[in-house]
Amino acid sequence: MSALLGRLALACLLAVLCLAAPAQAQKQGGVLRVTHRDNPPSASILEEATISTDMPFMAVFNNLVVFDPNARQNRLEAVVPELATSWSLSDDDRTLTFQLRDGVRWHDGKPFTSADVKCTWDMVTGHTASNMRKNPRKTWWFNIKDVTTDGDHTVTFHLNDPQPSLLVMLAGGFSPVYPCHVTAAQMRTHPIGTGPFKFVEFKQNELIRLARNPDYWKPGRPYLDAIEYTIIPNRSTMVLALEAGKFDLTITGELTPELVKDVQAQVPQMQCLVQPSNTQGNLLVNREKPPFDDARIRRAMGLSIDRKAFSDILSLGVDKIGGAMLAPPEGIWGWSPEFMQTVPGYGADVEKSREEGRRIMRELGYGPDKMLPLKVSTRNIPDYRDATVILIDHLKSVYIQGEMEALDSAVWYARLVRKDYSVGMNVQGTGIDDPDVMFFENYTCGSERNYTAYCNPELEKLFHRQSMMKDFEARRQLVWEIDRTLQEDGARPIVYQSQGGTCWWPQVKGLKLAVNSIYNHWRFDDVWLDR
Amino acid sequence: MLSYLIRRLLLMVFTLFGVSIAIFLLLRIVPGNIADILFDSAGMIDPAEKQKIVSDLGLDLSLPVQYAHWIGGLLHGDLGYSYVSEKPVLDEILPRIPITGRLAALALLFAVCTGVPLGVISAVQQNTWLDYALRLFSLSGLSMPSFWLGLLILMAFVHYFGTIPIYDRAPATFWAWVAMLGVPAAAVGFRSSALIMRLTRSSMLEVLRQDYVRTARSKGLSEAGVTFDHALRNAMLPVITVIGVETAFLFGGLIVTETVFNIPGVARFLVEAIRWRDYPMVQNLVMFIAFVVVTVNLIVDILYMFVDPRIRYGQ
Amino acid sequence: MNTGWWSDLRYLMRRYPLGVGGAVIMTVFVLAAMFASVVAPLDPFSTNARASLAPPGSKYLMGADMMGRDVLSRLIHGARISLAVALGATALGSGFGAALGLASGYIGGWFDLIVQRLAEIMQSLPLLVMALVITASLGPSLGNTIIAIAIPLIPNVARVIRSNVLSLRELPFVEAAKATGMSEWRVAIVHVLPNTLAPLIVLATAQLGSTILTEASLSFLGLGVPEPYPSWGRMLSESAAEYVRTAPWLVIFPGLAISLVVFGSNLLGDALRDALDPRQRD
Repeated sequence: MSALLGRLALACLLAVLCLAAPAQAQKQGGVLRVTHRDNPPSASILEEATISTDMPFMAVFNNLVVFDPNARQNRLEAVVPELATSWSLSDDDRTLTFQLRDGVRWHDGKPFTSADVKCTWDMVTGHTASNMRKNPRKTWWFNIKDVTTDGDHTVTFHLNDPQPSLLVMLAGGFSPVYPCHVTAAQMRTHPIGTGPFKFVEFKQNELIRLARNPDYWKPGRPYLDAIEYTIIPNRSTMVLALEAGKFDLTITGELTPELVKDVQAQVPQMQCLVQPSNTQGNLLVNREKPPFDDARIRRAMGLSIDRKAFSDILSLGVDKIGGAMLAPPEGIWGWSPEFMQTVPGYGADVEKSREEGRRIMRELGYGPDKMLPLKVSTRNIPDYRDATVILIDHLKSVYIQGEMEALDSAVWYARLVRKDYSVGMNVQGTGIDDPDVMFFENYTCGSERNYTAYCNPELEKLFHRQSMMKDFEARRQLVWEIDRTLQEDGARPIVYQSQGGTCWWPQVKGLKLAVNSIYNHWRFDDVWLDR
Repeated sequence: MLSYLIRRLLLMVFTLFGVSIAIFLLLRIVPGNIADILFDSAGMIDPAEKQKIVSDLGLDLSLPVQYAHWIGGLLHGDLGYSYVSEKPVLDEILPRIPITGRLAALALLFAVCTGVPLGVISAVQQNTWLDYALRLFSLSGLSMPSFWLGLLILMAFVHYFGTIPIYDRAPATFWAWVAMLGVPAAAVGFRSSALIMRLTRSSMLEVLRQDYVRTARSKGLSEAGVTFDHALRNAMLPVITVIGVETAFLFGGLIVTETVFNIPGVARFLVEAIRWRDYPMVQNLVMFIAFVVVTVNLIVDILYMFVDPRIRYGQ
Repeated sequence: MNTGWWSDLRYLMRRYPLGVGGAVIMTVFVLAAMFASVVAPLDPFSTNARASLAPPGSKYLMGADMMGRDVLSRLIHGARISLAVALGATALGSGFGAALGLASGYIGGWFDLIVQRLAEIMQSLPLLVMALVITASLGPSLGNTIIAIAIPLIPNVARVIRSNVLSLRELPFVEAAKATGMSEWRVAIVHVLPNTLAPLIVLATAQLGSTILTEASLSFLGLGVPEPYPSWGRMLSESAAEYVRTAPWLVIFPGLAISLVVFGSNLLGDALRDALDPRQRD
């Protein structure tokens, strides 16, 4: 009897040991070398809207809450604690209270308290003056009436209306908590956070260096000693250097599917992932200036676009086709294929659409011998230029003779503001796959990012209505309808939803990418190097 | 001699002054300044915030006032602050200058050490197959875009050696260090080498016909002595001039080569600063470049005076 | 006179073989540019997703680029753009430079002094840097690229022409012409100018090559000729250079085209210099 028991006990013990032992033990140490594409405009995440700043500097900070890195989709259900240990919503859904973690310190040693949360959100909502140069996501926080603290470890957000998406927005990479005691100017050049890595240096156009925070509040983390980003603007040089082993990881979403294929052909063991970057190519149409003050010409232009061709050329057919919201299955809020068929311009028969477009143009007096000349403005960057080339080719099918006007960033921007353009090819990223983010940033009357001055007050009421809905299915249906109306109105014709590639050597472990955004998983506290 | 020097220095100051006005105006001709770019990267406009940045940076002051601020600061050694990094311009430029300087020096060294001997060989072996081959080779060196050459070199390196000679602050091995310095230098210097080769050749040929060479020969010096002693020294005059002129052309090659090989030097930095409309950075960098060019020209002219005993300025 | 020009040609071919070679290259280049629509096998502008990055083969003789456009057809049409930029910039730069140099050398005095100083200022900046700032300011377009490349040429040409004019001015036949009562203007245009033509032609041909290279560099940096014009320089820029290993033909052929044309213009320029400028003959 005892022998049997003994063997059973041993078996159990062994089983427990086998189950409990991790698949591979994480190793401490090592410097992660990452290639970066573009000089970040500054080191302050709250002031910028580009992956150039977000990816390197997210590791310096913490949020109140984050998206669970193990969940591939960034969604409400995947929001997990970070600086907040728990939260609760009042009965009327208008008060969100967070309990904050104890014993957290800023990188300069000062303690983290609820006052820092209040400072940060007072700043981004514009309720207090700040020395931030820019505040790109002010519209995200339209619904926050006030932020109050109750002791050092409790903070409460008071909202005007219920807003399920608020937690989602707080979890994004662009929502770190800033310290009260550091100026905005310093955060741009030498940021102080509570995150797993401390800022070491930022040499313009050259490199960014972060070092391990030994006092990080998560025990045993981070595993890496340091992270180093080297800025290599020339993509071919970057790819060659990656393949030669000089770097471990590329900046996310910057490799085209074609390049990824090339990399994997050269280095079969390289890990690469091509996923939606939640970046879309869209057209900014100046409705106030000829020829696009004429709705018929706008419609003809919309009908000439062959979205599949964009996808085929720019991404080997991998790019998704959809409206303003990212298409499923990666996107949460995009149209189902059935619904998409009901949206004009998204039908499968491109030739028929183009014939319709030609008919419209012929009625207006244009033809193969009398083409409408048009300057297509765009930023002078390869991705923008490539998309414009394709657009110009498509426009020919409806008797529009396009010529690219590639503008340097400053000039592009100045012209947009002055409305000195006819149509612009625009590429824009959306920080989080969420309709509140998409609609309020880009389509509300008077929003700063609404370059085309599209204004539809009726539709805006619907924006607010969907923002308050708690029932996911009902909300999604409303979002689909809003999206369809936006496309019918030609507010900002969406041309493609791009995919981007990220590659890394197999010794980089613990890296988890999200399928519906590139901006939210760069804490690097779970990443380790096996070498 | 002294009066000549003083005159030249005064001229230098005048020229640099003119350059400062030119670059200052050129940057402000057209719409689009740093405030626009900063907002562009954030993807939105808030007129109030933008106006605040504009006035913080002094961009709404009148042009003469802005110019006076800049030049006044320059004369005190205060080059202003970069709009982008918000750090002093001097702090950004100074560490990068030695990197570009080293690359330029190595490129010139490569150009002279390959161009001069090849030019001499080509002249001495005039109209032989070797001469034709060298002439065609040098001509092709002048015809190739230098960034194309750089790209081809990179491709070849990765293909044949599996490594890539791009900039590395801490090269792993001695050979990696040599490759990192030498390969871009060769890519930049190739064009100058071709130019120097051609010039050495034609200059040598001209000199070999001169009377005084015949005189030297008649004095009984050996053929080799004639070639290398008298002819070479006199042939070097136009070459020295070219080195001066090439300094300006070299910079163009430096810009594209630093881009291809990812070298964090002043040339690549200039391109980025132009893209960002970082006025303080661009203005000061351009002034620096002009200063270097003008100084090199001055040095070359003085050297010229010493090498050619027949020329004495001011006489 | 048939025998006349044929024997002239044979003489030239024997005396300046490399020059004739250069002339042949340039002629092919110019003809391709002029008759691009006829010579090019396919449409250089139409994008075709299925042919993206096709290797050289029967349909796409030199392969296709990322958009599926035929490289050979784009090279042929690109000759037109390169020619336009090169000729335009050289003509503009040399024209203004010659006029300035002529006036400066002839009028002298304050005018000369000012022009000299302006020229020095412009020459203290490298060609590419000036062109960069100008195109970055004005925006990349065909016209702006031509202007940006022409402007730095002006001082070079002006100085050479000016020194020529200075030496010519003192020559006896000019004095003689003035003695017969000809106005200064007429003397300048009828007597002095033709004698500056030879060095001007040599200079212009020498500049031709460098304008093509400068345009290529500008386009490589993204600031030269924009779409839809197929510029050789831009074909080498980032979009193409990315595929440096999957599609090397995108890098090799445009680079070869540029090198070949510049090579030809240099050969021609050398030969012209030998023929027209006796002082430099070796």
